[in-house]
Amino acid sequence: MPQTTPEVGGMGHSIKRKEDLRFIQGKGNYVDDVHLPDMVYGQLVRSPYAHARLKGINTEKARALPGVLAVITGTDLAKANLAWMPTLYFDKQMVLATGKVLFQSQEVAFVVAEDRYTAADAAELVEVDYEELPVLVDPHKATDPGSPILREDREEKSNHIFHWEVGDKSATQRAFQDAAVKVNLQAVFQRCHPAPLETCGCVADFNRATGRLTIYLTSQAPHAHRTLFALVGGIAENNIRVISPDIGGGFGNKVPIYPGYVCAVVASLTLGRPVKWVETRSENLQSTGFARDYHMTAELAADRDGKIQALRVKTLADHGAFNAAAQPTKFPAGLFSICTGAYDYPNAFCEVDGVYTNKAPGGIAYRCSFRVTEAAYLIERAVDVLALELKTDPVELRKKNFIRPEKFPYQSPLGWSFDSGNYQAAMDLALEKVGYEQLRKEQEEKRRKGELMGIGVSSFVEIVGAGPAHSFDIAGIKMFDSAEIRVHPTGKAICRMGTKSQGQGHETTYAQIVAQELGIPAADVTVEEGDTDTAPYGLGTYASRSTPVSGAATAVAARKIRDKAKKIAAHLLECSEEDLEWEPGKFFVKGAPSKSKTIQDIAFAAYTNIPEGLEAGLEAVDYYDPPNLTFPFGTYICVVDIDKGTGEVKVRRFVAVDDCGNVINPMIVDGQIHGGLTEGLAIAFMQQIGYDENGNVQGGSFMDYLLPTAVETPHWDTDKTCTPSPHHPLGAKGVGESPNVGSPAAFVNAVVDALSHLGVRHIDMPIAPWKVWTILKEKGVVS
Amino acid sequence: MALGIEKTFQVSQPIEKVWALLSDPEKVASCVPGARITEKVDDKTYKGSITVKVGPSLTDYKGEVQILRLDAQKHEIEIQGKGQDVRGRGSASMTMTGKLAALNGGATQVTSISEINVVGILAQMGSRVISEVSNIMFDKFSQNFQALLEPSADQPVLASSAVKPPQPIEPGSIAWQAVKQLFGRWLQAMKHLFAGGKA
Amino acid sequence: MAKKQLVGVKVNGRERQAEVEPRLLLVHFIREVLGLTGTHVGCDTSHCGACTVVLDGKTVKSCTMFAPQADGCELLTVEGLMQDGQLHPLQEGFREEHGLQCGFCTPGMLMSSYVLLQKNKKPSEEDIRWGISGNLCRCTGYQNIVKAVQFAAARMEQGGVK
Repeated sequence: MPQTTPEVGGMGHSIKRKEDLRFIQGKGNYVDDVHLPDMVYGQLVRSPYAHARLKGINTEKARALPGVLAVITGTDLAKANLAWMPTLYFDKQMVLATGKVLFQSQEVAFVVAEDRYTAADAAELVEVDYEELPVLVDPHKATDPGSPILREDREEKSNHIFHWEVGDKSATQRAFQDAAVKVNLQAVFQRCHPAPLETCGCVADFNRATGRLTIYLTSQAPHAHRTLFALVGGIAENNIRVISPDIGGGFGNKVPIYPGYVCAVVASLTLGRPVKWVETRSENLQSTGFARDYHMTAELAADRDGKIQALRVKTLADHGAFNAAAQPTKFPAGLFSICTGAYDYPNAFCEVDGVYTNKAPGGIAYRCSFRVTEAAYLIERAVDVLALELKTDPVELRKKNFIRPEKFPYQSPLGWSFDSGNYQAAMDLALEKVGYEQLRKEQEEKRRKGELMGIGVSSFVEIVGAGPAHSFDIAGIKMFDSAEIRVHPTGKAICRMGTKSQGQGHETTYAQIVAQELGIPAADVTVEEGDTDTAPYGLGTYASRSTPVSGAATAVAARKIRDKAKKIAAHLLECSEEDLEWEPGKFFVKGAPSKSKTIQDIAFAAYTNIPEGLEAGLEAVDYYDPPNLTFPFGTYICVVDIDKGTGEVKVRRFVAVDDCGNVINPMIVDGQIHGGLTEGLAIAFMQQIGYDENGNVQGGSFMDYLLPTAVETPHWDTDKTCTPSPHHPLGAKGVGESPNVGSPAAFVNAVVDALSHLGVRHIDMPIAPWKVWTILKEKGVVS
Repeated sequence: MALGIEKTFQVSQPIEKVWALLSDPEKVASCVPGARITEKVDDKTYKGSITVKVGPSLTDYKGEVQILRLDAQKHEIEIQGKGQDVRGRGSASMTMTGKLAALNGGATQVTSISEINVVGILAQMGSRVISEVSNIMFDKFSQNFQALLEPSADQPVLASSAVKPPQPIEPGSIAWQAVKQLFGRWLQAMKHLFAGGKA
Repeated sequence: MAKKQLVGVKVNGRERQAEVEPRLLLVHFIREVLGLTGTHVGCDTSHCGACTVVLDGKTVKSCTMFAPQADGCELLTVEGLMQDGQLHPLQEGFREEHGLQCGFCTPGMLMSSYVLLQKNKKPSEEDIRWGISGNLCRCTGYQNIVKAVQFAAARMEQGGVK
């Protein structure tokens, strides 16, 4: 790939972000900043019960309050066939409850008033009559004969949603029978929540004069949402405009369609006025798409030398009251089958069962890459358990089993074709940076003195860039993505993509791709996303897919422009195309470099001096169907010290070596890594959305659901190796979720490593001080 | 969320007199802050209501109280109460066993063992707040109970106190008291920690 | 409904006044009555700090104050950081050091850092981390925010900017 100058700012340059200017001045435009004339406010009334029959709703007092314009209930919506809506995964969910409620905080009624305070007052006045029903919160009991059946609307009266299998069951069984060494790990990946700083919300604006519905929406996938609104709401798709303005963090939380959106749209259609609905933080934590809640068992079979022979995985997936997991249709457990990890062995079998419980719906969120976080956590924990069993160093065990670079593209035993990888190199760099040998010596000394120190390693493989049309679609829509580029007469350009940044820096990085391919300085390239009226159709930004899919589309579109530019250059230089050579920013005649035309000259000519047979203008659009997914990877090493008196774990050092192929903007990649590692830290040590036996949410606000501050967060030491993707036009892989995928295992492995000499093999997350202290007490380390 | 609470207090009245009060649900209800009996269904069943205010959050529970067991010889009463918030904010249930024991000098020890279960918005605040609120309510109950037993209570004013309008605890006071108590314990723990460190 | 009250505040150097319900939160007063939407709401328990503003020289979580409590006070919001069309060194620092991604926590971070630097012209990394511990960020992991504040501190020492 040719190098561009820093002034042009193509691939590899850490140019400053173009979007920052408005944010640092407080001039971002988030959904709650949208203020339209005549706008009114909506608020939801929510169920306090996890499972109850809805006997009646009395909205009289609420409606009588001055300033209240409407109170909508499930019964009202049912008249328009909108009380239920389809989820993104073959199920339906209640918009407003009818018949019964299935999780605490479920949406029951929607109040619309002139201002938000009146709406809040009115919501307090809605009286709902419930009859409590027995509650199911333990997913292990979901299929027990005595457990209440939650979904009366389903034909099959069962709490079991799906069973999914992949791999060779009998071959794996044989491998286990023959194996010299076997280990078994039961690990729970606790229910948690992405909690982006901006909660979800919308302003639904139906304009009676034009017949158009404009929805300002916190959406990571505006086009898909527009299509779904059209299909479900029966509104013509050309009359719907979804605008995702600035989004204050997504992390998967803003992929589903929530009842609040639907209610706001219905209210706006009914009242003919803009309706704003923005949820509170408590509503966000208690009712929007949660993450994880996977109860997993992994078994590894190995020979005595430590060569892994087989992996067997069984998982129970708690999906809450509705199956609203937003994932490609052929994958009910997402891309969980990446759980074979970075290791080379022939046999694997994986099965997942999904069940309903009286909890909020969701499952695919928090930078999970479609369940890859669960998978990577499982295999990296299991390998450490195997290392303990074999009494071997966890780094040596990994190195022994790594897929060798010459084996790529590698066929995993669960059906994936890994594009490229060099796990050894990433591991070596991480070991060197952290000073592994020295740390192990230090640990030995500390153990003799009774001090607790641990080193945790995680060598993860990611799978991102969903995905090829032959296997991937969401709600039927194929997972291509798009870029449209138009160059103006004065050589500046505008591009629009089908993705939607929520902080990933797309206004800068896509511009850098154009700069790389066309030599137009990134500063001269405007990037827009999020307005479905103008941007080409795309599936949005999540699962680290923007660079692999839309980034590829951008490169391909730019190359189409370059092809046309060559024709124009040949016309201007009065030579044939074969005589021309390209370097970023200009075409020149082979052997006569002074005879050249810049891309700016060419752009001007595209409007003023058009060659015969060619259309005017200089633009292209590309819809990119990726041939495969991409497989970023890395090695993370975490060093912890444990305070025996309090059980507190201090992260002393964290080295993160990531390989995401060719990098667009190293500064932005580092930022993504810092953020993801901080989320991984939170998950490993602080976070859980728990439920008591009555279905009361225990992590329902920031009082109990903890986010790390700058004080808890350690310094992150980042570095990179580069193994380009052979099938991506830019050799790039995507990286946003890698830190969240790879780090929880690094943290947990470190804590277990600190306590393994006491016989500890595993501790479930979140590893709060009281858990560690309890273990220390049980082991007699403290009295 | 289930919470177990055991409380004991003493009154300077003979056991039979205390029993007369304890075995009368309407009189007992009059001592519980914010509670009242609204209807007697039969000898063992009563309908009632209780208003609980935690900070700005007000919950009006309406429900039923049942006497499960009444043992005049052992001086033990077991009751069960269940209520739902009239606005649909949640529900609460409680089973309570009240025991009396005669003490020297003509006094009586009153022991109550309760299990409380709260479902709904209040339960989200966690057991810490629920138990603090329960403690405060119980303290007020025992104050009222004792006041009813004092010599001046022998007069017909007993009847009128039964029809006194229920006074819910003051708006800010429960939350503030709960917070003060939580903080008080934390402060004590901190003092202890620092005092220990200096040694 | 309680009677409306007149609230007068000097915001970013300008006198502003409005009649509001006494229970109107200061953050809503700033965002909706004054139209300054740079200050954000990120939670409902006073934890996140996205609503941080500077009131009479002190940082305040404007979601935990009522507008009438700010009557007669001086208020500085993120919109008031620029001086004569020039970015404040903190704003420059956030840009230079990639101290923001989605931008939602940024105004609150800027206001907390602003007061931190007023009180402590040469903060250590630990000082900075404690100084912004009332502001939550989900995107950056705080590392570059620390660098941004260090950039600003250095710049302010050179340039004599307040």
